[in-house]
Amino acid sequence: MNFFEIVENTLRDTLGPSLTAFRPEMAVCATIVALLLTRMLAPRWKSSPFWLTVVGAAAALWFAAPWHYLSGETSERAATIFTGMLVFDTFSVYMRSLLFVFLVFFAVLVRVTGVPEREDLTEFFVLVLGAALGMCLMLSANHMLVVFLGIEMASVPSYVMAGMIRHRRASSEAALKYAVYGAATAGVMLYGISLLVGVLGSAHLPTMGTQLADMLAGGHFADRTMVLVLGGLMVMVGLAFKLSAVPFHFWLPDVFEGATAEVAAFLSIASKAAAMGLLVRLVIAFGYAPDATQLAALAPARQYMAMLIGTLAAVTCTFGNLAAYGQTNMKRLLGYSTIAHAGYMMMPVAAMAMLMGGEPAAARSAVSAVAFYVAVYLFMNLGAFAVVALVRNAAGSEEIDAYAGLIYRSTGVAVCFSIILFSLVGLPPLAGFAAKFVAFASVYDAGMLALLAVGLLNTVLSLFYYLRVVKVMVFDTAEDASGAMAMATSAGLYLLIVTAPLVVWGIWWNGLYAWAKAASAALS
Amino acid sequence: MNLLTQPVGLAHYLVVGAILFVAGVVCMATKRNGIGVLMGIELVLNGANLNFVAFGSPSLRADSQYAIGLDGHMAALFVIVLAAAEAAVALAIVLSFYRDHATVDVDEADELEG
Repeated sequence: MNFFEIVENTLRDTLGPSLTAFRPEMAVCATIVALLLTRMLAPRWKSSPFWLTVVGAAAALWFAAPWHYLSGETSERAATIFTGMLVFDTFSVYMRSLLFVFLVFFAVLVRVTGVPEREDLTEFFVLVLGAALGMCLMLSANHMLVVFLGIEMASVPSYVMAGMIRHRRASSEAALKYAVYGAATAGVMLYGISLLVGVLGSAHLPTMGTQLADMLAGGHFADRTMVLVLGGLMVMVGLAFKLSAVPFHFWLPDVFEGATAEVAAFLSIASKAAAMGLLVRLVIAFGYAPDATQLAALAPARQYMAMLIGTLAAVTCTFGNLAAYGQTNMKRLLGYSTIAHAGYMMMPVAAMAMLMGGEPAAARSAVSAVAFYVAVYLFMNLGAFAVVALVRNAAGSEEIDAYAGLIYRSTGVAVCFSIILFSLVGLPPLAGFAAKFVAFASVYDAGMLALLAVGLLNTVLSLFYYLRVVKVMVFDTAEDASGAMAMATSAGLYLLIVTAPLVVWGIWWNGLYAWAKAASAALS
Repeated sequence: MNLLTQPVGLAHYLVVGAILFVAGVVCMATKRNGIGVLMGIELVLNGANLNFVAFGSPSLRADSQYAIGLDGHMAALFVIVLAAAEAAVALAIVLSFYRDHATVDVDEADELEG
């Protein structure tokens, strides 16, 4: 093949299937450019960042077309695009669609609740969309370089978002902590990637999997086991930071407290969903091979990953729930709740690693459990942080004490928040229960009974601190019973729209679960 | 195998990379100055970069089955760019921390706790 043929082939591949599948990301890119140009060309149009972001995210959702790929009519298998750098399958369609749905809701949230520095709204949305672009790459990564690029693209704008409020001590401290911890773990992860890539002789994830299988089957890996284990651990350091898994969780409550509630919502939902998708991808890459003998040879790798992720999940979950008890700040409480939920979401991933060898159908339902959980979690945490932002605007405080007697001052908000909190606990008939049910069911399928016991115990544990907030809202009386809380109609409507799915999906969760099933169909 | 008597090969590069990595981690863990911590991060990234370049070099690898070729060089180039972007953002954040706290000592960042 001469040079011109290579160029010809690459061009045909890029302009044909690759760019077609990449349209959602291109819509996000176009939105970023449009945001910056509008700021320059029409500086008087103050609400342009909001409208452009909503339109851009909706366009990206339109191009991602989950109703087309997840309805079960198309039976397209996974396709790799851009010469194998990215993978395009139903899982990436599902997760990216969730991300774009979140972006639309997030833009509306920022519009409803407002950000402290209004003139920085353009920059804020540029950062949000830039981070979202990185998350898209994380969700469809098929190459170690894209894994690292995606993580960095998602992290670097997030550091700035954490420090958006100027001249506030807590804000710059949060940004510093986030940036230093984030950069340090990313560095360690890169070193781990370099070891894995070097030992396995490829950076292409499926090739790395087959090379690992050959190495394990051939038995000539004895001198490399140490490097493989160490490399895997180092990669897990970077992922654990993004997932806020113990022992790399310490940044999260501080960042949530220092940043605004809206930014905390972004970090706790979008960033977590992307990291969870990437974790699923990496576990599949190193635990699954299409060939039966290779699949059998990968058993030690699956065992290692299941143990590592299962242990991390159990510890993360328990720690998050225990630490949430002593909190007096609502955002810190939700921060620890986020950590605990990251633990719950990692449980089915561990189950998937266990099941992938023998029972592909059960492994697929474990992936759909993760996908389902992420969708429910999106609305639970979005609602919770929306309430925090609304109460902050009305009462000027983010302490739990500020919620005292909320039910007398603003009944609707208190009822919605109670529903959200009950859903976070996982009480039936709310969506949180359905999500926990499918997650725990796949853990049971994998026979990881100890993990299941930890999960159930944690659900009971978490009941008390969520209920404490409900108790404060309903039974405690505020010191300054200043009557009704001033709140715009749009804010109430927004809260209602975000809370509604939790009730609806709690009863009719088949529709969403069918989509989550379709999302996992293309995997293994 | 005594590395000192061998002709220079892959192992030597990996040793230098590992030394850079360890130096960087120690620097990150012990420095109290925020900029010192960032320098440690740069060392870690460059240690990984050296690994990528060494693994990518066909002349260094005896087991050519595992050579990663251009992927290694490409990874190194991307990491250099990323490290620059990350350093720019991190330095800006350190500067904003300095404005609010009049210090770049990371141990002073202890107001958020619980």
